[in-house]
Amino acid sequence: MTADVVHDFTLAPLDWRPYVAPVELDHATPEQLDAMQVTPSNTGVSPYVLVLAHEASMLAERSPLFNDIMYSTGGLSRGGREMGALAASVVNRCIYCAGVHANRHLHLEKRPASIDEIFARQTAAVLSEPDQALYDFGVDLTSDPGNPGHMQFHRLREIGLDDLEIMDLIHAVAVFGWANRLMHTLGEPTLKPDRKGAD
Amino acid sequence: MNDTAPPEPDVIDAVLGIAPGSPLDRLRRERDKLRHYSQTSYRAALMPADPRNFPLPLRAALAARMARSWKRAELARHYTALARDLDADAATLALADPASPAPQDPRLRAILRHVDLVTRQPAQATRDDIAALTGAGLDDRDVVTLAGLIAFVNYQILVVAGLSMLRDF
Repeated sequence: MTADVVHDFTLAPLDWRPYVAPVELDHATPEQLDAMQVTPSNTGVSPYVLVLAHEASMLAERSPLFNDIMYSTGGLSRGGREMGALAASVVNRCIYCAGVHANRHLHLEKRPASIDEIFARQTAAVLSEPDQALYDFGVDLTSDPGNPGHMQFHRLREIGLDDLEIMDLIHAVAVFGWANRLMHTLGEPTLKPDRKGAD
Repeated sequence: MNDTAPPEPDVIDAVLGIAPGSPLDRLRRERDKLRHYSQTSYRAALMPADPRNFPLPLRAALAARMARSWKRAELARHYTALARDLDADAATLALADPASPAPQDPRLRAILRHVDLVTRQPAQATRDDIAALTGAGLDDRDVVTLAGLIAFVNYQILVVAGLSMLRDF
């Protein structure tokens, strides 16, 4: 365990350091290269994608699935999906995922009080609607998919979500049950060093 | 990546009993791409062309164990049947029960411990848990294979849990 590892939820920019050796880009197979191209990136291939490229056939299906769940048109708002992602990431303590998706929610919805409250009180956060209903559903489904709470489900209907929107939220939460189990277990978040002139 | 139409019935439709033309079937088809890649991801995790150090019957038995850990009986039944169809031996089938006695083989013990931890308490996982896997003889790719299998099956468990409420309420 090294000193620069981040253990608390934060909006600060983070890097991710893997526990296993990533695939080396120079030695990647054609299948691995093909699988890695699916993930859009402006700054080269991230260590996370290079780690997942060990299983190129899984990565090749996962990337378009992830993108469709988070970015498809219609249905639940982009911000609503980010709230589902954030709820899962808080329960599963994926500090990196929570930071990224809290920032995206903030950018889309401009409700910093919601993010502050979630980072401070985590699963007990008290929020305004619709954040509360979306967040509580995500926390509950993530915490116990064997016996998910019907109250949290009905609350989604009460705030006016239709079936497509609810299905979109279910998948946003579920795909972060997936992402958190990769990112939080295969590596650790570190503070991004100051990059003058970058971005 | 898109050139193989799923040859078998959609697994989520099958375990939830979603009939063609039913309201939930029509809803799922509004997200056809998502539905398609959920199925291809299932094949990639459970039935890869090159299973390498994780034989297909073991993958199915571990998936059944995860589903049972979360008390998703419909998925546990599916994966137990899959393990049987793949001619899993008795020792492999026993792994489907999280309460079964731990096997002697240290590699398999380490795998089961990781499956149970990351399924039920992913928040608790640390660097030491990966070290335990590599210490038991898993290589880097094995670690990513196992993580990918656990992560996918848990996605499926969450989807089934959520869609079951849309089906029932």
